[in-house]
Amino acid sequence: MMSKKMSPRGRWSAIVGLGAAAALALTACAPPGASPSGDDANEDTSTLKVGYISPITGNFAIAGQEMVDGWNLYWEVNGDEVNGVTVETVVEDDAGNPEVSLTKAKKLVELDEVDVVVGPLLANTALAVAAYTSSVGVPNLHPVAAADDLTQRSANDFTVRTGSMSASQMHFPGGVWAGDEGYKTAVTLCPDYAFGWESCAGFKQGFEQNGGEVTAQYWYPNGTSDFSTYVSQIRAAGADIAFVTTAGGAPGPDFLKSFMGLGLGDTQDLLMNCCSLDQATLRALGDDVLGFHSVSNWAEGRDSDVVREFNDAYGAKFDGKIPSLNVAGGYMTASLVAKVLEQHGYVSGDDLVAAISSLTVEDSILGAVSFDKYHNPIAPVYIREVQEIDGKLYNVPIKTFDAVDQWLGKTPEEVLAHESYSQSFQG
Amino acid sequence: MTRTRAISGGAIVALLAVAVALPYIGATSYVISLVSTILIAGMLASSLNFLIGDAGMASLGHGAIAAASAYGAGWASKQGLDPGTQVLIALGITLVVSFMYGILSMRTSGIYFLMVTLALGMVVYGLAFRWSQVTGGENGISGIKRPEFIGEWWTFYYFLVGAFVLTTALLAVVSRSPFGASLRGIRDSETRMRSLGYSVPAYRLGAFMISGTVAGFAGLLSVWLTHFVSPSTAGVHKSVLLIVMVILGGVGTVFGPLIGAAVVVLVENVLSNEVERWPTVLGLIFILVILFARAGIVGSFNKLIGRLKRRATSTPSPPAEAELVTPSGAPVSERNHTA
Repeated sequence: MMSKKMSPRGRWSAIVGLGAAAALALTACAPPGASPSGDDANEDTSTLKVGYISPITGNFAIAGQEMVDGWNLYWEVNGDEVNGVTVETVVEDDAGNPEVSLTKAKKLVELDEVDVVVGPLLANTALAVAAYTSSVGVPNLHPVAAADDLTQRSANDFTVRTGSMSASQMHFPGGVWAGDEGYKTAVTLCPDYAFGWESCAGFKQGFEQNGGEVTAQYWYPNGTSDFSTYVSQIRAAGADIAFVTTAGGAPGPDFLKSFMGLGLGDTQDLLMNCCSLDQATLRALGDDVLGFHSVSNWAEGRDSDVVREFNDAYGAKFDGKIPSLNVAGGYMTASLVAKVLEQHGYVSGDDLVAAISSLTVEDSILGAVSFDKYHNPIAPVYIREVQEIDGKLYNVPIKTFDAVDQWLGKTPEEVLAHESYSQSFQG
Repeated sequence: MTRTRAISGGAIVALLAVAVALPYIGATSYVISLVSTILIAGMLASSLNFLIGDAGMASLGHGAIAAASAYGAGWASKQGLDPGTQVLIALGITLVVSFMYGILSMRTSGIYFLMVTLALGMVVYGLAFRWSQVTGGENGISGIKRPEFIGEWWTFYYFLVGAFVLTTALLAVVSRSPFGASLRGIRDSETRMRSLGYSVPAYRLGAFMISGTVAGFAGLLSVWLTHFVSPSTAGVHKSVLLIVMVILGGVGTVFGPLIGAAVVVLVENVLSNEVERWPTVLGLIFILVILFARAGIVGSFNKLIGRLKRRATSTPSPPAEAELVTPSGAPVSERNHTA
């Protein structure tokens, strides 16, 4: 009985053993596809295949969709064929998750064989994707991502920031402006993660290099919707000016409602950032925010033909809305790609990044833009004021800082030598 | 008896053969990286499956254990330490974190266990997010290198297949051992086991250490696959998805976690290319499985085979079904209510 039961089991273990042995034998030699195929980007030079990664679902869906809209808008307005090269775009959703972002980047590079990856949006996803694309020799353009390290500690010849700035760079002129205006003390409130640490560090250094002193710094966790305690703290701090940043979305209007609700609207001077006073906030709060100030590399109310054309084209497509920084970033990136194609025809690999970085654009929607050798833009930063023009609210620049670089008045070596910004290290 | 064993043995050999042959039958490195992601997620889900299926402890913080190990490896890599030290640090952190989890949760069960593990997961997430000097904060740590002998994508892939087979076998062996039987005893009736003289907390701690170690190993492998770690790997979202994988595949089954992981990873990474509302699709699949296949995909499949066989032979042999599905002998349906 026993031996009869044992024999089938023995047979199966024999088969499993054989299978394992065969497996071992197979694994001993490399599979056919193992030799590094390298960057065998399609030889077809009549098409520039673009993989576009953006969070179209999840918490950052609105910003992600805007970033895609800006890119598409450029090609719709100007045609997707430049100098005999057709631009073909594959859009992928990463839901704001770094691992999905990375898998999508792999899919785009290996399956779709794209020539260039554009995006994604969030800092952590951007750093993850940039590390991968540079390792396989595919250029990576960043329309919106603001992580300092993208063009600092992790800078490489395959990664270029095309539509945004590093977070500290974008907010540094805010501090300079506040110092120039004669404010002596400031209190800051920034979100408690890398973007907030970097943006507050930028403001603080600009302010303190110009005779000001930051007396208190407060940090709020992502997802805060009730800002009344922070507004009370700002009131208690009693500084000459309050500097408040958000990464877009609901926090901007939420903060401002608390701020005005507690009566600080008329008594406390305030400087916000790009995304706290973007068009979504202006639409939500209307005339209440007239005269409010913010600092950004994008100003939809700038008196310039290219900006007006861009605004009109976007408005025509999206029932009269005015574009935000995310749209501008996508559009700007497309315009830079188009310029390169115009000058050089089809380019790929680090040549594409080098070609973009060597561009000097005098009249882009972001103003006069050139690039440093870390592939980060040197571009204007605007101090903006909310004004009403023809019945619509715009952020109109009241002061322009031209050719702002990412080094905050220091040398690149000094900046790269110190640690990344955090709550406890603000430069 | 022999037929069920033949089916499961054949399935294992076939699966293994496909896994090994994959790079030779023209799978691109993208497909391989997807399969690798599934294997790692499956390994993580297996560790949780052991905890839920055998010990009845549904941890809501398991993703964070893997993340802690991944951060250990990432930090070591950033300091320029050699891969051996990387592994040691990752495993050390895994052991410490699992021990913390185990010690703090061993006297709780049910919803309290869920809450304790959820809270501990949040602690790991908070540390990853805020302790930016070490973890890089929101930006995470990128550019993490894996050891040279598995540097090529295909050598790493075979390493992964081997690791998956090993850990799955290990968990199955532990589950079949007297230790596993005691765990199931505790799961079914804690008071009875205590009155029999078993130290319930010690068994719980032991189960957690075993499961945590496998989870930490999976975390280390994931960082070698993606070369990158960020706070989102430690988030609740990740741990919840793990539970979804386990339930989808079938609680207490050996290959359920792998199948569940495959469904989740494929929906998240492949279906999302075509369908914008892929999270809805994942939710629908989950609801359908809960409504119509309570035992999960693998569990229900096994049940079906068992029922067909019984009808064919008409000689009742109830243990056969359990033997195939669960190494332990507990019927599938009974295991499910623990999830």
